[in-house]
Amino acid sequence: MGELVQKVELMGSDLPWLEGLREKGAVFFEKQGLPTAKTEAWKYTRPRDLLADDFILPPLEEEKENACTCGEHCTCGHHQREGEDFLLQAYVIDFENGALEHIAHNLPRGVTIKPLIEAIYEDDGIRKYLNKSFDMEKNPFAALNTAYLEQGLFITIEKNVMLDKPLALVHHSFSCHENLMFHLRNVILLEEGAKAEIVEYYNYSGNEKSRYFTNIVNELYIGRHAELNHYKFQDEAFKAVHIAYNAVKVKGEGRYNGFCLQRGGNLARNETHVSLTEERAEAEINAAYIMNGWAVIDTTTDVEHLAPYTKSTQLVKGVVGGQAKGVFQGKIHIAPMAIKTEGAQLHKALLLTDEAEIDVKPELEIYNDDVKCSHGAASGELDADQLFYMRSRGIGEEEAKQILVDAYLQDVLEKINNQDIKDWLAAKAKLAK
Amino acid sequence: MKTPLLEIEDLCARVADKEIIKGFNLTINEGEVHAIMGPNGAGKSTLSHVLCGKPGYEITSGTVRYKGKNLLAMAPEERAREGIFLIMQYPVEIPGVPVTTFLKHAVNAIRQHRHEPELDTMEFIKLLREEGKKLGINPDMLKRPINVGFSGGEKKRLEALQLAILKPQFSILDEADSGLDVDAMKVVAEAINAERTEHNAMLVITHYQRLLKDIVPDYVHIYADGHIVASGNKDLALEVEEQGYAQFLKEK
Ligand SMILES: Nc1ncnc2c1ncn2[C@@H]1O[C@H](COP(=O)(O)OP(=O)(O)OP(=O)(O)O)[C@@H](O)[C@H]1O
Ligand SMILES: [Mg+2]
Repeated sequence: MGELVQKVELMGSDLPWLEGLREKGAVFFEKQGLPTAKTEAWKYTRPRDLLADDFILPPLEEEKENACTCGEHCTCGHHQREGEDFLLQAYVIDFENGALEHIAHNLPRGVTIKPLIEAIYEDDGIRKYLNKSFDMEKNPFAALNTAYLEQGLFITIEKNVMLDKPLALVHHSFSCHENLMFHLRNVILLEEGAKAEIVEYYNYSGNEKSRYFTNIVNELYIGRHAELNHYKFQDEAFKAVHIAYNAVKVKGEGRYNGFCLQRGGNLARNETHVSLTEERAEAEINAAYIMNGWAVIDTTTDVEHLAPYTKSTQLVKGVVGGQAKGVFQGKIHIAPMAIKTEGAQLHKALLLTDEAEIDVKPELEIYNDDVKCSHGAASGELDADQLFYMRSRGIGEEEAKQILVDAYLQDVLEKINNQDIKDWLAAKAKLAK
Repeated sequence: MKTPLLEIEDLCARVADKEIIKGFNLTINEGEVHAIMGPNGAGKSTLSHVLCGKPGYEITSGTVRYKGKNLLAMAPEERAREGIFLIMQYPVEIPGVPVTTFLKHAVNAIRQHRHEPELDTMEFIKLLREEGKKLGINPDMLKRPINVGFSGGEKKRLEALQLAILKPQFSILDEADSGLDVDAMKVVAEAINAERTEHNAMLVITHYQRLLKDIVPDYVHIYADGHIVASGNKDLALEVEEQGYAQFLKEK
């Protein structure tokens, strides 16, 4: 078995504070180890895949010559796939195998996007935010991510700046003879009154049987009256492991609006932890997943209401086929002083086969009486009479199923404010790729 | 020379371990309209479901040939694409799927099978509006989810609209008249009659002579206890209306 913490030289090793932080990350990861069946937070989603193979960091530029990167002349014999570009109007930032390739030019005034390591060297304020939004002791993958802190972005949207187009972080990944791992950290800051849309798109290029491990931590800071619309489409290669942790801090009257569609990966988890720290801060977390084969896809949320008049809503809907397993863990915490808060959460799943499975764990921690809180879960199957009705009109079985699935996911997709992104994700939420 | 379209021989079928169709025989030639009447629970709807390939029925013996091919081996959608259509006694509600979306999928699936070009949205909407108008279906109804909240009569009109648009060769009407008011009955019958050609055939299931005044059948069959117990011309329907089924049941 390979170790996930490996001795490698990373950029910035000459900065003692950074090296110290990385070491701390490594220590916290090793202390916790990979989650097991006994780890409550990972009860339903055991990242056993990570034990089966060795994962290494991508080779450096100068070593790439010898390494197989499944490019044009690759002889590995696997099916090659072109990575899909992000085609909507956006400021695009490209990553390949976890490394930053390109940042859009012509960014509007008041928007700064820097490679993380550059921001660290320049030390222009990132230290106030870096690694400040979560607890490494409780989060092994975020600790591991810290141990490899190097790649990613520092994005600042200045006071009252409203972005006219989304920022799109587009990831193409692949691996061939060796299993690669990528650790990405994005620190995103919306100052008071700023408004932005951010899209994260994870897809693969090259070998469709790529085994790789993407480990992302996003630290999102939303200032007073600021609003972040955060969209994500996880469409990794089918043998990939994708683990993402979104730590979101929302100040007074600020708003976080997240939507995540997951369709790829063999094991994938999108975890969102929102802290509503000041009065009237709001969060909406919506998600959809559609899966087949043997995949496990996990959506975990944790919303902390820490101030009065805060509000959160969550709608998560899944479609599970094959022998796949969908997991939803949703926690709402309401602090004693957080009076007049509202928290609502709903998970629904459609099971397409007898072997498909879902595990749902809602958790409410309410420490005062003056709140409105609700949660619910439901699961169902496709209606045989509806399927027959459509087939009796000439519609093929698979097409009929897709029509019902589209209808099922419609309300959650409707939560997406941006019409282009809604159309894009609706077109991607299909049973057949 | 008559061309047989549908040939049912000695058909036996069960559902939930209960024998419903017991030795059913009937041949329908191109151009013919056959009516089936029979008491509640006789198995009329069951027959219509079996002919359309609804899952859940076990065919225990017999054969059904459609255009000379083994119908029972075909998937429901293949049957529909080959021209079989059923107006259901109880049309199904499908929340979240607008009538327009659904019918566009259906029309294009069938056109593709016939090697006809797909209709684009404009052409399709035009066709839908025109045919809908004839049946007294307003455009708003077409935007609503299939059958959800539709009145009994509206459901049957929508079934008739589908028939008019999908242009089947063999239609089964399972109580197409139930729930329709007097005027709607006329309109629906008209739409159905418009599909009567020398190549098309129909099987009309009804309890009432009323519908058969508008859609005049070539043959009327009495179906009881899983098979046909009497056959005749349209006058047989009148006889049933006046005297009920008792006489046919006793004969057995
Ligand atoms: N899934 C089922 N399980 C058990 N019995 C069934 C099932 N489906 C149909 N039956 C029975 O089969 C018999 C025939 O039903 P069917 O609906 O074909 O009758 P019908 O002739 O169409 O009656 P009606 O005139 O009332 O429409 C009935 O006794 C009915 O209860
Ligand atoms: Mg019936």
